[in-house]
This record gives sequence, C-alpha cells and structure tokens, in this order.
Amino acid sequence: MNRRRVFLFTIGVIALVCSARAVLSAADDPRQIVGESQKRTNATSQRYEGLLQVFDARGKIVDKQWTFERLGAHGQSKSVLRFTAPAEVKGVALLVYNHPDRASDQWMWTPAIERDRRIALQDRSTRFFGTDFSFEDLEERDVDQYDYVLQGEEAVDGAPCWKIESTPKKTKSSQYSRSIVWIRKDNYAFARVESYIKSNLVRRLNYSKIENVSGFWTGRVMEMSDLTRGSRTRLTLDKLQYNVPLKEEDFTLQAIRRQ
Amino acid sequence: MKRLLAVLLIAVPQAVAAQTFSQRGFVEGKGWFYPRDAPNDPVNVVGDLLAREDVFIKPASWIQFAAGADVRANSHDQVDRTWHVDFFDRGRLRPAFTVRRLSATISRGALTLDAGKQFIRWGKTDIVTPTDWFAPRDFLNVIDNEFLPVTGVRGVVRFGENTAEAVWVPRLTPSRVPLPNDRWTVPPSAGLNIVENPAVFPEGGQAGVRFSHIGARAEFSLAYFDGYNHLPNFRIVPPPSLQTVTIVPDYPTLRSYGGDAAIPLPWFTAKAESAYFTTDTPRTDEYVLYVIQLERQIGEWSLMGGYAGEYVTKQVTEVAFAPNRGLTRAIVGRASYTIDINRSMTFETAVRQNGDGTYVKGEYSQASFRHWRTTVNAALIRGEPDDFIGQYRLNSYVGLALRYSF
Repeated sequence: MNRRRVFLFTIGVIALVCSARAVLSAADDPRQIVGESQKRTNATSQRYEGLLQVFDARGKIVDKQWTFERLGAHGQSKSVLRFTAPAEVKGVALLVYNHPDRASDQWMWTPAIERDRRIALQDRSTRFFGTDFSFEDLEERDVDQYDYVLQGEEAVDGAPCWKIESTPKKTKSSQYSRSIVWIRKDNYAFARVESYIKSNLVRRLNYSKIENVSGFWTGRVMEMSDLTRGSRTRLTLDKLQYNVPLKEEDFTLQAIRRQ
Repeated sequence: MKRLLAVLLIAVPQAVAAQTFSQRGFVEGKGWFYPRDAPNDPVNVVGDLLAREDVFIKPASWIQFAAGADVRANSHDQVDRTWHVDFFDRGRLRPAFTVRRLSATISRGALTLDAGKQFIRWGKTDIVTPTDWFAPRDFLNVIDNEFLPVTGVRGVVRFGENTAEAVWVPRLTPSRVPLPNDRWTVPPSAGLNIVENPAVFPEGGQAGVRFSHIGARAEFSLAYFDGYNHLPNFRIVPPPSLQTVTIVPDYPTLRSYGGDAAIPLPWFTAKAESAYFTTDTPRTDEYVLYVIQLERQIGEWSLMGGYAGEYVTKQVTEVAFAPNRGLTRAIVGRASYTIDINRSMTFETAVRQNGDGTYVKGEYSQASFRHWRTTVNAALIRGEPDDFIGQYRLNSYVGLALRYSF
C-alpha cells in the first residue's frame, strides 16, 4: 500500500514539475507567447464597423467610417475593408489576402474610375487614405513571419505585459526593421506595438478598451500615432462580431466591385 | 431592355424592404476659363452643373441591383435641352437627364453575372489603355474627359487564381466627340464651317473575352474583342465648298487582340498593355498600340511614368477622331501627392516624342466641412497645329470645381 502511495506521489510530483516547467517555458518563450496570442484570436470570421478619427499635428479631426469583414484563420485569412463615409469615398474598398509564408496581396477598388489596382509590395509603406495606418499595418502579423526576443515585462495602462521584440524574417517584406510588442499577461491581448525603421521609432499603436467579445479579447479602440508627422488616427470598433457566417465568394475582386 | 426595366421596376420595390441599401451622390458645379480665343468658338468661360445619384440594393447575398442617374446643365449648349430620359448615350449633346447605371448583378459561387447598363473597364495602364474597348468616353473636353457606361451582359467565372470573362454589348455606345462649333473641334482652316450630319450607327453588337491570371509574382490578361470602334472616322460628304465641310461620323468594325501585365519588382511595378487593331471597314487604319509604364510610391508621392507607342500596319484613314492614338508616340506621366487627409495635388503630362504636342495638367483638391470638395485645375497645351495634342494649343485653361457629396 505504502509503495503504491509513494509511486502515486512520485508520479504526481513529476507531473507537477513538468507542467510547471511547461508554463515557465511558455512564459519565457516569446514565440510561444505570440503564438498563444494569435491562437486566442483565431476566429473563423470577424466583422465590425470602424470609426476612423484622424487628428493632424494641429489637432484637427477628420472622420471616416468603414466596414470590415474577415474570413479564415489568422495569417491566411481574406479581408475586405469598405469605406462608408464620408460620401466622397463611399464604396472605396481594399481586398487583402494574407499568407502565412509571405507578404499579403492587396487590391484597392476605386469606384470613381471603376478600376481596381494592386498595391505593390514596395508601396505598402504608404499611408492608407491619408490615415496614419500604412497599407502594411492593415496586414495580419503571422507568428511565423518574425523572430522574437523577450525583453522583459512592463505594464501598459496598469496591466502587466510581456515586452517582446519582433524582427521580420528575410521572407517577410516589411517597411519596419523591428517592432516591440506588449502582450497582456492576463488575456494575451496586444496592448501596444511600436515599430522602428532602423533605430527610429516611427509608429506607435495603442490598444485600449480591451474587452471579451464572444470569447475573444479585443482592443475596441486602436490608436496609431505617426511619430514623424505628429499625427494620429483612432480606430474604434463598433458592432464587433466573431464567427459570423461569411461567404468565400464575397472576398474576390469581382465582389469588391459590387458596392 | 424594356423587359429588364420591367423586371427591375417590379423587383426593386420588393427588395427595398429587407436588404442592404447604399447610395452615393453629389452635386458639382464646374467652370473653365480659356484665356485664348478659338477661331470657331468665341466663348472663353464655360460653366457646367451636374447632379449624380447612384443607389445599390442587395435583397439577398447573391443578387444586387444598381441604378444611377445624371442631371446636367451647361452654359455652352453642350447639354440637350429637350426633356427626355436618355438611356443609350448616343446623342451628340450630353443629355439633360440620363440613366447612368441600371443593372442587376448575380453572384453564385464562382460565377458573377452583370446585366444592364454598367461600366466595364479592361486593362491595367493609365492615360492610354489599348484594351479598354468597352469604355467609351465623353470627349466634349478632350483632355478632361469621363467614361460612359455601356449596356450589355458581363459574365465572370473564377477558378483559382484565374478568371475568364465574357462581355456582350448588343448596341454600340459611341464616344461623344467634340461638337463641331466648339473649341475642341479644330477646323482645318480659319473661317471654314464644319457641319456634322447625324451618324448612322452600326446595327451589330460587340463581344469580347478576357482571361486573367493573378499570381504572387505577376498579373496578366489576354483579351479579344470583336465589334465596332467607339471612336469614329469622319466621311466627308461631297460636294465640299470653300466655306463649309459636311462630315458624317462612321463607326468602323474593330477586331482586336490584346493583353496586359503587371509585375511587381523590388523598386517599382512594371505594367505593360498592348493591342492589335484590325478592321474590314475600307479606308480604316490597322495598328498596334502599346504602353509600358513604371509605378512607384515614395512617401506621399505616387509616381507613374512610361511610354505609349504606336505601330501602324495599314495607313488609309482620311479623317478620324482618335485620342487613343493621338496620345501615343509619347512619354506619359502622372504624379500625385497627398498633402494630408483632406488635401492632394496631381500632375499629369503627355509629351509627343517629336515635340509637336505637349499637355501638362495640374490639380489641387481640398475637402472641407465633411461634404464639400474644392478643386482647382489648369491645363497647359502646346504644340503644332497638325499634331493631335498640339492642335488644341489655344485651349489651355484654368478650371474650378465645387462638389457637395451626399
């Protein structure tokens, strides 16, 4: 009987040690942290209505609105972003095909000239429609496209976060030399991303109003600051839904031509 | 067409109740000031008013209806003042009220079918687009033109990275060429009066097919067109007199083979487009048009530059209005700069390689108060009288447009 107790105790201790080591190594491994963060956003689809507020260096505000739909798993999804306001840009749409192993493919539909245009890789650093988001910032960041270094822990808005440096792999074409991401320890949600070109910090993306929506922790407000221009763009996600039924055929060049 | 209208009129009101509805529209006032007098047109200031509304109704995920209309007025008799609803855009004048768009789009799986009045754009290049055969234009202002819709059926089947597209347009929609007594029609000699008799439009339709491939490294398309050229030849009606020339627009048959490609390279995107134009209409040229251009965005600048060329295989046309050819054998370029979210500037140029014709357009545009946009533009045209661009050397202008979008 005693032998059996000793055996069970030993097995229990080993299991405890192993699981503790697993937790510790996950906490220490920045790739696993980012991977876990990505896994937790892995909805089959997403839809929201976005309110964009662009603040220029003098604080002047311009509003734009768009609808966003995404279909597919993170890193290999397809998404359509379509402007709904102001009136003069209504119908302008951006189609993005994300790929896990290379940069996304992007096309923009401009109804005023009834034409679509592919956004070339070298043009991704351009600001998207005068906002502080570049075309590249609208891509999904797949965990496998970056190398990671854990830089420690730091709180963002009072929430403890892992601070991780991510450097794009050679296969990933990026305007940024590196980025620092802050991932919240309590729910693995992104709290902040700072992007560098060489040693210069050029953009800062802050996530706030982080809420659990249908089981997915999401920053309902994203604020992108262009630190070279002194301007910033706030994107507020409204009517956010996950796992909504969307059709594959609505994510094609033919579909974005429909208004 | 009447059947399509009836179907739409029955279907649309039922659809409005439970579907997604969207609209966009604007009212725009435009003015042009031409500092120099033209021999056949003493007017230096032209004003234009345009109200446009497009509505889109999607009663179910697989079907969408689109309808749109233009209402116009003009200070220089460029708009037909007789009150009627114009559907086919065949008049010499711009209609006061025209149906701009009236179509149904059905999408099932890999198939998309558009039927009705719609815009069809083919090709990848800018300024000169040799394979854009289904895109007639309003050339009442030759270098500040706009596209006209066509009425037909367009089917697109998607399979993987490829699409196959077929278009059938039963009636030709001609490009609207400059009016005989307007400054954009240049008489061969001063004092000569040009009289234009009504065109006799061809009865047949136009058809085209296009295969497109979108790959990770390149995009390309191959296209074929059989129908009529939307740009006319002009037949001179005898007997000519010293004071008056009477002309009749003729729309020659056109069979064309073409293709386009876009290749993203590390520093820029290379685009090319070409088409071979053949015809069985007598006294009509056969030729190849081609365009090679490079594009690049640098910061807030979007830059495009290239060369548009022409190779004539049969030269027999006497008089024609052919701006697509008139802008070839030229270096073309466009640059736009986004100042901020509300303001932008654009420059465009075409310079003929022999230096006989040049135009430079500049535009500054500013949005304000959410709905308003003001655009100031100017065009400088220089050249020789026998060059397509150079003949308009008296038509350099300054323009102002004020638009309210809703």
